[in-house]
Amino acid sequence: MALADLQATRAFAVLTLDGRKWLLPQAEIQALESLLDIDREVRIPHSVGAVAFAGEWWPVYCLSGELQLLQRPPDGRRACPLLDNGADRFGLVCDQVETLTVAPRLLAPPACMALPDSPIQALVLLNDELGCVTTTEHLAALLAAVVENVDG
Amino acid sequence: MAESAAWVLALDHQLRAAVGEREMAHLIEAPTLLEVPRSPFYCWQVLVWNETVLPAMDLAAWLRGQPMQRQQPLAGVFAYQTRPGADPEYGALLLSGIPTRTRVDDDQVCALPKQPSSWQTLAISCFRQGDQPIPILDLPYIFSGGLL
Repeated sequence: MALADLQATRAFAVLTLDGRKWLLPQAEIQALESLLDIDREVRIPHSVGAVAFAGEWWPVYCLSGELQLLQRPPDGRRACPLLDNGADRFGLVCDQVETLTVAPRLLAPPACMALPDSPIQALVLLNDELGCVTTTEHLAALLAAVVENVDG
Repeated sequence: MAESAAWVLALDHQLRAAVGEREMAHLIEAPTLLEVPRSPFYCWQVLVWNETVLPAMDLAAWLRGQPMQRQQPLAGVFAYQTRPGADPEYGALLLSGIPTRTRVDDDQVCALPKQPSSWQTLAISCFRQGDQPIPILDLPYIFSGGLL
């Protein structure tokens, strides 16, 4: 999903990870589960377990606020949104998940800050804080790259 | 002999650089800097200015190849054009002191400092002020992603 498509998106969910706010299109949040719903015995490599939803196991991953892969959820993680863009499906343990009631004004990330593998597609000012806009597709690509690095 | 005005910028306690007089738009003392995850070590914060976000570039960190601790940050907002006639774009540089205005003559031109060697990436020219060479920054290159 390109910046132009994101700018047409009206509803965003705010996923808080270690205090950092990551925004995803609300339409990509398929369900919101509790951490208690994660079956930690279902071991999918690099996941913290899986959630049974709609007749399938959805792998659940844990990322830091900087989107580094974590082996176990830090204290404070309470929610597990299930992300689905039609191609990628997984859960992400978060501190908190909220829905923005007003469509945010998306700002293009400065060109001099955009590392080639950055999942950040836009920035948003949320009162005195900064939110980073990404998508399930970009998170899935980041997870795939991280897993490849860990395994490689 | 052509003479023009410039601002001399303190990038840190030692490194100096210059920009054209009209390139500096604003100076912000104790700016509110917001961190952007997964960004380069020399440009990992933005500041809010005129309802948009500007990259806060630490050129001293880039030149020295490592992050810098800044006690009392000061940020200059600079305008640049990526091509003639284009609308101005803006970026911020982290500074260690209030910029000083100077006048530069053609006969002050000199070679870039040998160290750090990466000056040649950042600078379009250089002039001498007293004993010190002052590189002139290539702002469009710096803020358009040339350092990535």
